[in-house]
Amino acid sequence: MKTMKWLIKRELWENKGSLVWAPAVIAGLLGVLAMAAIFFGRHVQFNEAGQAMSVGTITIEGAMRSRIAETMSQAYVASAMPVFMILGLLVFFYCLGALHDERADRSLLFWKSLPVSDLTTVLSKVVTAVVVAPLITLGIGIALSLLILLAACGLLLAHGTNLFGAILSSPDFYLTPLRLVGLLPVYILWALPTVGWLLMVSSLARSKVFLWAVGTPVVTSLLLLWAEKALNFGLDAGWFVSSVVNRILLGVVPGSWLAFSKDTISLPHEEHKLALPDAIFSASWSTLGGISVWLGVVAGVAMIAVAVWMRRRREEG
Amino acid sequence: MSAIITASNLNKRYGKKPALDGASFTVEAGRIVGLIGPNGSGKTTTLKAILGLTQFDGELSVLGMDPRTQREALMNEVCFIADVAILPRWLKVKDAIAFVEGVHPRFDRSKAEKYLANTKLSPDMKVKAMSKGMVVQLHLALVMAIDAKLLVLDEPTLGLDILYRKQFYQNLLEDYFDENKTILITTHQIEEVEHILTDLMFIQDGKISLAASMDEVGERFTEVMVEPEFIAAANALQPLSQRTVFGKAIMLFDGVHRTQLSNFGELRTPSVADLFVATMKGTYA
Repeated sequence: MKTMKWLIKRELWENKGSLVWAPAVIAGLLGVLAMAAIFFGRHVQFNEAGQAMSVGTITIEGAMRSRIAETMSQAYVASAMPVFMILGLLVFFYCLGALHDERADRSLLFWKSLPVSDLTTVLSKVVTAVVVAPLITLGIGIALSLLILLAACGLLLAHGTNLFGAILSSPDFYLTPLRLVGLLPVYILWALPTVGWLLMVSSLARSKVFLWAVGTPVVTSLLLLWAEKALNFGLDAGWFVSSVVNRILLGVVPGSWLAFSKDTISLPHEEHKLALPDAIFSASWSTLGGISVWLGVVAGVAMIAVAVWMRRRREEG
Repeated sequence: MSAIITASNLNKRYGKKPALDGASFTVEAGRIVGLIGPNGSGKTTTLKAILGLTQFDGELSVLGMDPRTQREALMNEVCFIADVAILPRWLKVKDAIAFVEGVHPRFDRSKAEKYLANTKLSPDMKVKAMSKGMVVQLHLALVMAIDAKLLVLDEPTLGLDILYRKQFYQNLLEDYFDENKTILITTHQIEEVEHILTDLMFIQDGKISLAASMDEVGERFTEVMVEPEFIAAANALQPLSQRTVFGKAIMLFDGVHRTQLSNFGELRTPSVADLFVATMKGTYA
């Protein structure tokens, strides 16, 4: 456990730029843009029931006021969506480099001179990819959205509409970030095939890791497509793309599970009068009821095992 | 004294070319062994086998463990410095110390800090900002703070200037080595290590061609500046090698008694470098 802690610290030292600074800088830029829009923009509008209202001109009261407070307390984290989306990119490139960079710069020999097993090392990289990196990004994203919410409420207050009490007393305000954190297990399970694939390629490829990681599945798809169309083989290239290629390349994108399971999962918040965040949360967890996620987990674990084996056995010149 | 390393009949091929071809040797505790051989003779492969970094055939026991299957346990007792460029560029001095302290049960932080206090390295310095010599100083600081039984050095001073090289071996000898530790070194800079070695191993074409203590080497090998009138007689004793310096023939003999040789001219103990050149004759021919 102590070793794992230091291995994860090690990953953060090496990848501080991409895992911490990249989301922080993007959040900072979004924050600046949002602030500029809130304080200098004249047309901050709420579209409610098809009726546009400019907050600068009216004071919101009554039912409308509580409706707005409810929406804001449920959906404020959406303002940090770009930060969450960047997570997929960060994890993708982190995994690609994880087992390749140490071979490229020969520091592998140094790490191997310490009493740390290959299994522990590779697991520390998996944990960094699917737990540490998402938690950092979530923390930064939630901080940003709180800031934007605060600024928006401050602006409304300046125009005579005080939403602070309503929002702070709404359970959703506290539950929404918790729901995001609660989606982490779903993220981990859906990300495993991609993380496994990328770590495996990272441990196998001598160079051009990105080309191998992306090129192999894309070229395979094209070949299958060609075989299907030109040779009339009974192959289903579309199935291959959707259940293999997408899963091993896009699984690290947050929310990918909703796209992967769109045939079986719907978001029934409209008809059930369920709030959207709640609906996304339960729909996400219900994707774990299907077989496809678990097949991906098995494949991911198998590919991680290959990566461990490669790190153990591979020799560098 | 007990054997730290026992190797018998090690074999390893890269494609068709044998890297190790039946190498057998033992290394006793408390020795400083120089493993010396030409390029491509199997030095690095031998070290990799000892460190569990490569697969091979044959029997090898390092501190009673098989490096192929007990690598992690072995690394508690063994340290190695491979060559200068293996510390990652992003690593800071203080992080390197913290990390090794965190994962290595035998690391003593105060020793590393004491050693670093005598260098120009500062805690926040990154490896990429260091000269080659400083990187080796950092690596040596980490290694010297680990109470390991075996230290393996593969060309540790490659590319360093003479000041760093001298200092490296001096630190190793004065601050690190004691009777409980064993050091195995490979290097091409033979002249610089020969005075610290207690044992010598020559490796040639994947085989150990000579394994002896430095005392035995001194007894076995003799160099003679042969006076011109004795050249024929000396040649009859089959010298390992013969070269001419200032018009005088210098012959190197293996296992010929000194009293017999002293008739031919002035005797001296050959340097390891001369011995190496003599025994490796024809390697690249």
